[in-house]
Amino acid sequence: MSATSVVEGWTEGPLVRYVGQASARLVAVMTPAGQVLAQHGFARAMDLMAAAALGAAIMASSGALAQQLGEQSFGALFHAGQHHGIHLAQCSTPRGPLIVLTVFGRETSIGLVELFYEEFAAALRKAAPVSQVREPVLAKDFEADLNRSLTSLFRR
Amino acid sequence: MSLVNFTTREITCKIVYYGPGRSGKTTNLQYVYSQVPSDRKGQMVSLATQTDRTLFFDFLPLDLGTISGFTTKFQLYTVPGQVYYNATRKLVLQGADGVVFVADSQMRQLDENLESLQNLHANILEHGVDIRTLPLVLQFNKQDLPPELILTPPELDEALNFRGLPTFAADALHGPGVFETLKGIAADVLRKLSEGGGGVRRL
Repeated sequence: MSATSVVEGWTEGPLVRYVGQASARLVAVMTPAGQVLAQHGFARAMDLMAAAALGAAIMASSGALAQQLGEQSFGALFHAGQHHGIHLAQCSTPRGPLIVLTVFGRETSIGLVELFYEEFAAALRKAAPVSQVREPVLAKDFEADLNRSLTSLFRR
Repeated sequence: MSLVNFTTREITCKIVYYGPGRSGKTTNLQYVYSQVPSDRKGQMVSLATQTDRTLFFDFLPLDLGTISGFTTKFQLYTVPGQVYYNATRKLVLQGADGVVFVADSQMRQLDENLESLQNLHANILEHGVDIRTLPLVLQFNKQDLPPELILTPPELDEALNFRGLPTFAADALHGPGVFETLKGIAADVLRKLSEGGGGVRRL
């Protein structure tokens, strides 16, 4: 995987700026279901998916806890480790709610990450398109490809 | 909803294994994990209790390979089956492109299967999704147990399959039926994409 890659092009400009300003090591922009829209710094697609699934789960469970306490939601979450910190936050955009997971090291600080995250969230809101109805993606005869792929996957 | 990247031609879909406690949802993922070459899978993440009951979810990312020119990745999740974990079950179900309902074939578990199936319908409805448009398959697991303890696939079909969904008899511990189930739900989810609209219909 390259340093920065995006599924939806409108995320690229804001993400590149955010990574540079906040000196973030890893960033994943995802939907609340854990689907990644853009990333920076992850070496393997599969590691990225696991990080996104866990990040989305943390946000989902803390959101559910907030509701139980009568809060609309909690703000950003921050955890500090010895070498890395993580910052997790949700922002609403015209495309729908998005979650941003930021991993940072000692070259920056939670204060800087929080500061530039606010700018990043605003830039995402501004750039995001409204969700659109999707056209057919796969060819009608995709099943032969699927059979071949699964057969090789399970070595049968 | 499936994510499609037209620039890099990649598709990512979320599949959730649902069902009552101890029906074999995690065992399905463990079997898949054990069979797939390491370059086609990520690490299996399990958020479980000390006694290995699923607390939040299990997660396994899979690279299915190229389908119709798109690199296709599936994210397999399980939910905790125990009745009292409904809040977390609902969270994991969010954004699912397809669901595998893993039923326990033991006679004494029939009520639990029915309760879990009703719970699935209720939770999908709470997410504002029309269940008739959500790809769903049933797996009748533990068919390897002694015949006097279990219901046969036709009996389970009669008891659980009100909508004529695809069904798969399985023994997830040893493998039979696991691959067929995954293939069945993958085909249903990808068929939705080939028809356009990109997935489930919201109410």
